[in-house]
Amino acid sequence: MEPADLTFPPAAYERMAVVLRVGLFVSLALLLGALVTYLLLHPSTSSTEAIGSNPILQFLSLSGLATGLASGAPGAYLTLGLLVLVATPIVRVASGFYYFRRGGERSLATITFVVIVLLLLGLFVIGPFVR
Amino acid sequence: MAVPSVDLGLLVVLLILLSVAAGLVGSLVGMGGGVVVIPALVVLFGVPIPEAIGTGAITILATSTTTGAAYIRDRLTDLRMGMFLEIATVPGAVIGATATVFLTRASLTDALLVALGVVLLAIIPSSLARRGQEDPTPRPPDARSRALRLSGRFVDRATGKAVSYHAADTSPALGVSFGAGIVSGMFGIGGGVFKVFALERYMGVPMKVATATSNFMIGVTACAGAGILFAAGYVNPLIAAPVALGTAVGAYVGSQVLPGLRNRTIRWIFIPVVAALAIETILRGVGLP
Repeated sequence: MEPADLTFPPAAYERMAVVLRVGLFVSLALLLGALVTYLLLHPSTSSTEAIGSNPILQFLSLSGLATGLASGAPGAYLTLGLLVLVATPIVRVASGFYYFRRGGERSLATITFVVIVLLLLGLFVIGPFVR
Repeated sequence: MAVPSVDLGLLVVLLILLSVAAGLVGSLVGMGGGVVVIPALVVLFGVPIPEAIGTGAITILATSTTTGAAYIRDRLTDLRMGMFLEIATVPGAVIGATATVFLTRASLTDALLVALGVVLLAIIPSSLARRGQEDPTPRPPDARSRALRLSGRFVDRATGKAVSYHAADTSPALGVSFGAGIVSGMFGIGGGVFKVFALERYMGVPMKVATATSNFMIGVTACAGAGILFAAGYVNPLIAAPVALGTAVGAYVGSQVLPGLRNRTIRWIFIPVVAALAIETILRGVGLP
């Protein structure tokens, strides 16, 4: 019999599953609501127009997103829903970092911390830089 | 073969149906569903390749997030091994996604697509040779595996037996995982093929745990690539939103099916999907689709 995993007790697995479920639910709710609203507001849009234009471009900056959300633009809420979906794994890794650190596992905590830094760099530094 | 121009509402319905199938396949084989969605978007709907890749990354996130909750709850996911291998896959994904942005501008992706297809085809003989094997032959853990306590135990619901395992050759697994990260970031296909390969072939992890852990890992890896592609404007929400919704449904159904399947059943799903992906990738590389 293997010894019990003290770093990831059953409660840790449950909490991580909850983080994923909440992130997924919020993201899908935002995407579904914004998509239905977009369809209602733009009933004559064709697939060619939808594929050829990208309504996300004006909401990629924080100020643009905030303005879009405040004005109730469906494109801004679609952007927010996608952002929540992208951010959910970061929260999951962050919870792994918490458990490794709490369990005194410095090597795995360091590995996980480096992963978090790289994920944030990609989203907030490299992506905007190469745009 | 392409779908003619239709109303946006019908396009959304078609994309949801497509992505339900993609999510189901993706969750069953630990590959994320992008392998189905990306070529379908390009071939059937005329979506530009960079945006198809960006949508593929979103597909992977939806699959991994949906199945991750179920697999983590069932204790099939090995969080220690997953986190360990992410130190290789995430830098690879950052490099891969950044390369995609520049290669797309320079129109130099065709040769890389062909190379990817060849590598995928090279994996298949190894999988076929061991297709009747339920659990990997135990091998001694290496020094890194012992230091990081890369071992685990789960109850196989198909056989009712408790299975213990530990990681063996971690160095080649890290190398393969770095390659998986580059593939994931560059092509938006998840790289789960390589991750399952690294976990099962090199580290000696049972197929079922390898698949569940791969599903966990591809979400984190895709996050690295998707973050860059998203911030660079390569994700069209009118395409990505219905795809994410459909993929989540398909992946949820897949996650309910996986724990009751025998390992050789999963392998028989895995092998043809890899073969199809490889051929499809080569064809795209030489400009045939």
